[in-house]
Amino acid sequence: MAPGPVVSRIAASVLGGWAFVWGCVTLGIALLLRAGLTYADARTLTYLLAFLVYLAAFCWAFAARSAWRVWGVLLGGGAAMTALAAWLVRAAP
Amino acid sequence: MFATFRLSMAWLHTWFGLVLGYLLMVIFFFGSLSVFDREIDRWAIPQTRFAPQPMPSFDTLLAPIFARMVPEAHELEEARARVGGPLPAELPPLNWGAYTTHRDPVLAMYAEYAVTNNPTDPDDHVHGHITIDPRTGQVLPDDQLKIGSDFFYPLHYSLHLGWKDLGYWVVGFAALVMLAALVSGVVIHRRLFREFFTFRPRKHLQRSTLDLHNLTGVVALPFHFFFALTGLTVFASIYLPVSETMLKPQAQAAAMAEAQGMGLDFKPSGVKAPLASVDAMVREAKRRWAARGMPGEVGYLYVNHVGDRNSYVTLYRAGSDRVTLVGQPIHFDGPSGRVVHEAPPPSLIASVNDFLTGLHLQHFEHWLLRWFYVLGGLTGCACIATGFIFFVEKRKRQHARAGSLGARWADAMAVTAVTGMLLATLSMLVANRLLPADLAQRADWEKGVFWGAWLLAWGHAVARSGPVRQARLSPAWREQCWAAAGFALGAVGLNWATTGDHLLKTLGARYWPVAGMDLVLLVVAGLAATAALTLRRRERAAQPQAAPVLPAEAAHG
Repeated sequence: MAPGPVVSRIAASVLGGWAFVWGCVTLGIALLLRAGLTYADARTLTYLLAFLVYLAAFCWAFAARSAWRVWGVLLGGGAAMTALAAWLVRAAP
Repeated sequence: MFATFRLSMAWLHTWFGLVLGYLLMVIFFFGSLSVFDREIDRWAIPQTRFAPQPMPSFDTLLAPIFARMVPEAHELEEARARVGGPLPAELPPLNWGAYTTHRDPVLAMYAEYAVTNNPTDPDDHVHGHITIDPRTGQVLPDDQLKIGSDFFYPLHYSLHLGWKDLGYWVVGFAALVMLAALVSGVVIHRRLFREFFTFRPRKHLQRSTLDLHNLTGVVALPFHFFFALTGLTVFASIYLPVSETMLKPQAQAAAMAEAQGMGLDFKPSGVKAPLASVDAMVREAKRRWAARGMPGEVGYLYVNHVGDRNSYVTLYRAGSDRVTLVGQPIHFDGPSGRVVHEAPPPSLIASVNDFLTGLHLQHFEHWLLRWFYVLGGLTGCACIATGFIFFVEKRKRQHARAGSLGARWADAMAVTAVTGMLLATLSMLVANRLLPADLAQRADWEKGVFWGAWLLAWGHAVARSGPVRQARLSPAWREQCWAAAGFALGAVGLNWATTGDHLLKTLGARYWPVAGMDLVLLVVAGLAATAALTLRRRERAAQPQAAPVLPAEAAHG
């Protein structure tokens, strides 16, 4: 196997996966705060689920056909969710 | 990148498993030892071989000791560098803490001191910590390393890599890879139920190793998955620091609201005031816990804003009798001693988290379950070690033909991670009994022996790995097994010689921390010697002809 694609997949699984989880956690907390949960509960609940999401993203990064799709979904999805979370907490009363 | 889903999972399992496996071995092994960290401490510090004690009286015993405590010398040095000049003659204490468990004869005491002249950081502070004999109040020498709770346990979760929490990140990544290895392992092996009952030790090494790898992986699968996952959630705030960055306003608002709801003062008033009787607060706390149907002892005692009018005392219940890790804290006003706030039962989400955390950290008192934890952790070690051996066995003939060094290096690293780690651990115990009691920086010597022995084991493993190039067993495995057997026996003998606590005595007195350690060391010696003898037989019987590769293994990466 050529080293380039392998390095790209590994970077996507670790870094892209982390960015995706960050997005999930911040968006999750923002939504749960909207739903009326306390901050502590919102954070705890998203933390409990965060690493299952990371695990799924990590494995998928190697299973997916296209490396570009992996980067797009993980990094793009993570950025989009983070942006939405930032907007939600700023817009909150 | 891969033709099928199974192939991608096989690649992930093989390569991440190999590279992170060395680390996972360390994490699993020292996690297993941490289950009995307090007992290892007793073995290593003979002066503390007495029965566990409850939290002593604060008013008569702890208060004067806290008043005499001073910050750590090296922290003062660092603070001077931060301030860029001398510090005030006396740094005022900010808070005091005392911690004990149902397994601790000694009491750990902590204090924080304000560094009042740092112009850039008004919250700058330094720490002090001591360990005392709670029966007499005598301070124990601080150069005695608590090998179990201060060396093996932090090694389990941080690898002693303090710089920028690097160790936590590395361990966290290894835990993620462990989870991925479990998932991908299940994907590779679809006949999970059958493999649960399959072990063919008489088949050739490659086959029996794979059987054992599958068996240990499957039998403890829920245990391994749970521990890797909760290990990550325990430190989630390090890996995903949302409250310190993006959601800081929300986190701070919540913390302020919580403190206001509890009626606790966030900051000192600047007006001095004496502390009421803490012993009376302890009595009241015990009465309240008993009234809630959970009578218990104080596990953690905390005094904040020491000496100030806004000081408060928090008493946490020792969690010996339940899995869930919650201290039922009760807060008292320092000067008056009245109850300010009693923590309500946790929310559903918090109780789930407390339960999972408690199950990982096991502060509860249940010796049988404790041994199951050790067994589960060591099963993980066996799973990882057999993974290494399978990796080498599968490739070594092919690598030998091609003149590749891959299998040789993988094997030398495996020796280092398996028997080398055991040797390092045992060397540290031997050094602990051999080094003179009054040696300066004794703790550093013990740590030095640990890392030095490990490094030597690595050198030995590399130097002796030549036969792997001819697709034979490395003699390093056998030689290090013999060394481990000798060191384990030596540790038991040295414990007898230097303390007089031989097995008949400790067993007769039912002093299990030391008796248990000696018994385990004898079992280790026996197992290591058996392994060495078996390896010797295998080496002698080894024929150069290659064993046929079974079709089931072809899918294994």
